[in-house]
Amino acid sequence: MLNPHPDLTASVLIGLGWYYLILFGMNLLWTFRSYKHDGEFRNGVPKASFWAVVTAVLLMTSAYHFTYPPDGFLIFMPLWFKNFFNAYFSNPVLYFFLSVGGLVFMIAAREWWIKPTVAWVLLNLSLLFMGLSLTDYDFRQIVGKPDNVPIVAMLFIVAFFTWIYFKRAVDNDRRMDEGRPLFEQEDNEKVLVWPDLVYTELICMVVVTAVLIFWGIALQAPLEEPASSMKTPNPSKAPWYFLGLQEMLVYFDPWLAGVVLPSIILGGLMAVPYIDFNKLGNGYYSFKQRSFAVTTFLFGFLPLWVALIVLGTFLRGPNWNFFGIYEYWDVHKVEAATNKNLSQFFWENLGGIPKGSGALDILLRESPGILLVLGYFFALPPLLGLTVLRTYFARMGVIRFLVFSNLILWMAILPIKMLLRWSFSLKYIVGIPEYFFNI
Amino acid sequence: MTDPKPSTNDIFAKIRAKAAASAAPESAVNPEAQPAVSAETAPLESGTPVAAPRSTADIMAAARAKAKPADDAQPAAAKPGSTSDILAAAKKPAGSAPAGSAAPKSPADIMASIRAKAGAAPAAATQAGESVLGAAAPAAKIDPSKAAGLSAAEMIKAARTKTDGTPVVPAKPKIALPSKPLPGKSAAAKAKPEVGRRSMLTIMVGAVCTWVVLAWSSMIAASIVSLLATARFMMPNVLVEPPTKFKIGPPNDYAPGTVSTKWQAQFNIWVVNAEVDGSPVIYALSTVCTHLGCTPNWLEGEQKFKCPCHGSGFYKSGVNFEGPAPRPLERVGLRLAEDGMLEVDKSVKFQKELGQWANSSSFVGVT
Repeated sequence: MLNPHPDLTASVLIGLGWYYLILFGMNLLWTFRSYKHDGEFRNGVPKASFWAVVTAVLLMTSAYHFTYPPDGFLIFMPLWFKNFFNAYFSNPVLYFFLSVGGLVFMIAAREWWIKPTVAWVLLNLSLLFMGLSLTDYDFRQIVGKPDNVPIVAMLFIVAFFTWIYFKRAVDNDRRMDEGRPLFEQEDNEKVLVWPDLVYTELICMVVVTAVLIFWGIALQAPLEEPASSMKTPNPSKAPWYFLGLQEMLVYFDPWLAGVVLPSIILGGLMAVPYIDFNKLGNGYYSFKQRSFAVTTFLFGFLPLWVALIVLGTFLRGPNWNFFGIYEYWDVHKVEAATNKNLSQFFWENLGGIPKGSGALDILLRESPGILLVLGYFFALPPLLGLTVLRTYFARMGVIRFLVFSNLILWMAILPIKMLLRWSFSLKYIVGIPEYFFNI
Repeated sequence: MTDPKPSTNDIFAKIRAKAAASAAPESAVNPEAQPAVSAETAPLESGTPVAAPRSTADIMAAARAKAKPADDAQPAAAKPGSTSDILAAAKKPAGSAPAGSAAPKSPADIMASIRAKAGAAPAAATQAGESVLGAAAPAAKIDPSKAAGLSAAEMIKAARTKTDGTPVVPAKPKIALPSKPLPGKSAAAKAKPEVGRRSMLTIMVGAVCTWVVLAWSSMIAASIVSLLATARFMMPNVLVEPPTKFKIGPPNDYAPGTVSTKWQAQFNIWVVNAEVDGSPVIYALSTVCTHLGCTPNWLEGEQKFKCPCHGSGFYKSGVNFEGPAPRPLERVGLRLAEDGMLEVDKSVKFQKELGQWANSSSFVGVT
């Protein structure tokens, strides 16, 4: 019997053979680098020997993929791991907490993971994980979609640039602790626009053009059937760069997630230079001197934007249900997602929801939510200014602090609402569908 | 001339040597008068012969030095290549005036010196014109018209020298002058003392204002016209849309407890036969999700409408229960026509949250 969804086929093995061959090449270069820079173990054996072994294993793995038939092939993601992953990790709450935890770990352990060898090991591990996962049919369907190739690339690129930042920031922090000049001061060799910059740009232009042409030829454009207002594709996904926004729309009313929040993101980013009173860190990398700014930005960018793009791309399937990365996208997957407004929660224990469709009735019905929201945006900033953010309040002045604290609260409203939805099935804090006003 | 084919560098060297020679006394008297071009000009002006010009600044300095003596009949060395050249040349008479020997540092300074000169003596203005032209004309000494093999640069130079022989007329220099210094200078060059600079300015400002006003008003007018044309598109002559009133067959086409999706593709409605408050009724639901307007799917197994965009879910009744949809699906008008057929009227909507589902036009009772 022919399996319609085969995990391993001949063409998949060939493709993975090339994949491991590229890994082999990368590690070969790394072995040479290690031989030059890494020194020796205690017993006098060069540390590069470890990488030589890894490289040799990768070469053999590649050869094995090229030569062996799919039947009885030994290198694939084990079923128990896939089941374990699907069972315990296909859960938006866990996913969100893992991404936040990853950010915390990244900042706390920055001294460790910026080491080139550690970073290289992490890169190799992630590539190996991807290579092994590609032996799974459902994973391949998602990751191999031409739509999703830029997102896979983006993951590695974001990781690389974050690594660059932390490496140089940690380096400068160390220099400042030891009283040495900053890297930017020590290495201030100036280069000329012509030819240095222009040549670099020319080379970049040529490389980017070549990559785009290769990409355009190698991967087919993901065209779908003609658009129809009667039929919505299932799942219906925004362009990849908007998938974070689409994920936000799951938790908010359209006018809030589609209009207000994006406007606040843009306006808030524009306001940052006027809010920031910290004059340090200007023109050089540093984490210690700008820890609050960097952490806030990374929180807004990594868990709240990049991670949501990944969530929307890889983990949201038909009917916008949540699927594990090795899970079959079953259109009929049933997920209990019944949710209620805050007013329903509130009034159910107090003898029923106030009926009536007059404006006052509605206000009474939604009063708990309205009070909560008003308190959040009007009472919380002064409270914060008097307690946790007292130093900020003192240095910023009233108006700047109010703008700043409101922007922070707006940013926080997204994860707060997501958590409320996940944990309490809360639909809207204020729900006035009669007047299209829902928060 | 001795060299049949002088290189550009040779020509520049000659220009500079000559310029340095003529400029030497002046610069010795008043070294500060040199504008802030660069330190490199210093050896040139003290008369030291230098093999090759180092930079544009050198050449400019040479040109300026040449133009420096007001009564020097020799044309200047090179055509001024830039604003600063021209300004330097124009500044020269002002510089030779007793007061204004300071180097102009900004356009405002230059304008001031030109204006002062123009206001003080018409003769000086004439000189300014001459000097501008002089600066514009290339060096006569290097006239290579007799030489046999000419380089391209020399040909150009030769073409430029043709003006050299003709009498010097205080005409407009053939250089494209930048717009800012132009009014002041041309006013000075024209040497019309009867036209005061204030009235001149008024005329200029008036002319500019007119054009600006004209341009803006025509742009605004064009925008308004195109806006009106766009607005016209909002009211098409013919609207090709499915009819809002249509018949969907007799009530017994729709079995009790079922959701019919057969009109979804054509008319964007679902027809549901279900019990509402204990009595069986038929109603038609609009297929537009109340969250963002996608079309949900009817899932028979789960007995719900499920939106693929953000996961909103609706019961068979149309009431929202999961996902972000804020309100129930909308019912459209439905009645039993005289011929016993159900007739849908999509031009009317019935929203539950407004209590409109009680309206008898929103459903048909099944007997």
